[in-house]
Amino acid sequence: MIKAVTQSVRRIGGVALLAVRASLRTKVVASLLVLLTVCVAVLPGVVKGDGTPEGDVHILLAYTLGFAFGIQCLATLWASCALFAAEIDSERMSLSAVKPVRAAEFWAGKWLALLALNAAVLLVVYAGVYAQLAWRMHRSGWEAADRPVSRRVTRPVLPTPREEARQTFELMRQKDLLPKGLSEKAVLRALEEKAQERYDVINPGEQVRWQFRLARPLREGEPVTVRVKFDTEYSTREHVKGVCRLSCRERPGKTVEVALDDFTQNALEFAVDTRAFASEEAGKEASRSGGNGLREFELVFLHAGDPHKSSALMVRFRQDVALLTPGGSFEANFARAACVQWGVLALLAAFGLTLSACFSLPVAAFVATVLLVLTMVGNSVVQVVTEEDEALWRNRIGIWVSRGVHGASSQAMSVEPLKALTNGERIEVGVLGASLAWNVAWLPLLLAVAGCAVLRRRELADAD
Amino acid sequence: MESAKVIETLGLRKTFRDFWRRPVVEAVKGLDFSVRQGEVFGLLGPNGSGKSTTIKMLLGLLHPTAGEIRVLGAAPSDTRVKARIGYLPEVSHLHPFLTPRETLMYYASLFGMSHGVAARRTAELLTMVDLAHAADRAVGRFSKGMARRVGVAQALVNAPELLILDEPTSGLDPLGCREVKDLVRLLARNGVTVLMTSHLLADVEDVCDRVAILDRGVLRAEGQIADLLRKPDAVRFLVEGLSEEEASALRRELEARAGCRVQQDFPAMSLEAFFLQVVAQDGRLRTFEMAPFLQAEHVPGKGPA
Ligand SMILES: Nc1ncnc2c1ncn2[C@@H]1O[C@H](COP(=O)(O)OP(=O)(O)OP(=O)(O)O)[C@@H](O)[C@H]1O
Ligand SMILES: [Mg+2]
Repeated sequence: MIKAVTQSVRRIGGVALLAVRASLRTKVVASLLVLLTVCVAVLPGVVKGDGTPEGDVHILLAYTLGFAFGIQCLATLWASCALFAAEIDSERMSLSAVKPVRAAEFWAGKWLALLALNAAVLLVVYAGVYAQLAWRMHRSGWEAADRPVSRRVTRPVLPTPREEARQTFELMRQKDLLPKGLSEKAVLRALEEKAQERYDVINPGEQVRWQFRLARPLREGEPVTVRVKFDTEYSTREHVKGVCRLSCRERPGKTVEVALDDFTQNALEFAVDTRAFASEEAGKEASRSGGNGLREFELVFLHAGDPHKSSALMVRFRQDVALLTPGGSFEANFARAACVQWGVLALLAAFGLTLSACFSLPVAAFVATVLLVLTMVGNSVVQVVTEEDEALWRNRIGIWVSRGVHGASSQAMSVEPLKALTNGERIEVGVLGASLAWNVAWLPLLLAVAGCAVLRRRELADAD
Repeated sequence: MESAKVIETLGLRKTFRDFWRRPVVEAVKGLDFSVRQGEVFGLLGPNGSGKSTTIKMLLGLLHPTAGEIRVLGAAPSDTRVKARIGYLPEVSHLHPFLTPRETLMYYASLFGMSHGVAARRTAELLTMVDLAHAADRAVGRFSKGMARRVGVAQALVNAPELLILDEPTSGLDPLGCREVKDLVRLLARNGVTVLMTSHLLADVEDVCDRVAILDRGVLRAEGQIADLLRKPDAVRFLVEGLSEEEASALRRELEARAGCRVQQDFPAMSLEAFFLQVVAQDGRLRTFEMAPFLQAEHVPGKGPA
């Protein structure tokens, strides 16, 4: 048993080593690295920022890393499409296939090789970008406030969109308001989408209130940042005024008030020093409750604009209101972002490998590209589909494919690491874990099963 | 005593089809043959007669359209069976960016061998096929014969019980040919079963115990090579050191005794023998020695377990 496992590990190792050597010696990796070096070294110099530290960070973290990742995605997909196909097409596979190697061992070996290569390349790219970031910080002597950060994002305490959709659905059913001719699933889906996008309308003179509960309590002295995005008519922005009041349940009696009068920017962000909540009374309260940190906050926003000149504000409260609190070092978050990207690359590699096991190189590359395009347009297809479209069976196949591709890909891409980095948002470990479980374990496993089934059935000596 | 059958086929057929599943060629048409343990079996036939197709089916690389195959007592797709077979394809499809050493290490790893064992076998095989001097150059730039030698070496890395060689001597110089033939004979003596194809009938005649002749996918003849080739009522004498007159006298004597015509000629040395002699003068002719691990794995007289 143990012997069988070690032998299997050796076989997988042998296959992986061959794939690594193939990509190193056929200069696949070398040319990729040249391309990426150009991207990492030249792009930040060419793209002119607005000169602010914020702009520099954006160029490095969003554009440079994003561009490099795009290149790496294509390279991974293309290389993985070639791995089996080229070997089978050139009949080299016939020599390996007569050895006592299982299809799963071939698949795993090649996939692991791609994982290792991608990890190495990502390491180089991220190190390069980090070095540039550090150099810029050093050269222009950025202040602490300008440096990239990692912050936990806490959104208001609300039922999830699904729960809200369910509630609304029950309400509609009781009042017999359900639309006729639509399935329950379709209605729920529509309601859920609506809930996600739901917004508060705040007229001049009105106020709204949001509750927050931090996952990790704040210590006294740690800052909390409020971020709110408002939608309003552009022409009336100048006249909009507002007041934000932040209070903390654990420190009753104290409220921090911030007047906002510049709504020309879409998102408003301001930091609040939590020491402001401290008072003698509150201090006593705190010591009585064992010195617990600050956990529950309430944010009140009052529209204080001139009722004649300014119009209503709209806030999509599920997406656009958040409290940001310190969440570890930027470096750790940077590394987590790399891990998320690595996971996506692992999924692409698995996808390409399985196509490669099924088709010859040109066909595999073509199918991969088509499916890549489908993931991009799948979203819009899924959104515009109506019940009537679905009633026709010939439409149904296309809709199912789009939905399947969209479902899998949106799950795979659910974490947006670069957006998180540029916004200074922490990528939670749990979120990273879920993303990796999906991209590096579940989907690849499914793809591997499919790929191996094909590989076992194929005639590996056949050149066409 | 009839020894065990290592390869057995029953009504083996292969029809190649195109993309639309329309039949294109019927390469093998109902083939029945068997190879017994420890014998050297030659599969002969003109180009396109289905030899390579048959071999690929025996190895599980192609799926038969009909018929049955048993190799070492199991189906060809069984990985336990694959572990006991060595295969040299018609064209050595090697990875051009690997060196011979890496190539052999790679194939050894596919058998689940530990690094130490693999490295030792690799070194011994490289010496055996006379490639130790080029062990660390990429095989992509090798001459055809050199690549062939790497192919032969990789077929032996697992000390196989059954060796399947598709035109093993193609591309080899006479020296290499002779070494391969020596190797096959040595392995056979140690109990390894060998199935080989070749166009060079002299090679087959030298090493094979039994042959089958395939033509357009059909078996035309099969049997012990000695039986097939024997001329039952002719005898040949070979006498050295006679002068021309003595030879003529002897012939007349024989004719008188036998009561029929006796042929007389002066055999020239074969070109092969001459070539080997010339090369030997350079001191390049080495004595061929089988890799030690192959000798250790296959004890002579007793087939591998
Ligand atoms: N993959 C394939 N697709 C279609 N036809 C094939 C394929 N492989 C072989 N054939 C055909 O099958 C027949 C037998 O081919 P095979 O390679 O077995 O011959 P062979 O006896 O090995 O010949 P040679 O002595 O030239 O090596 C030929 O007509 C060949 O064209
Ligand atoms: Mg052939």
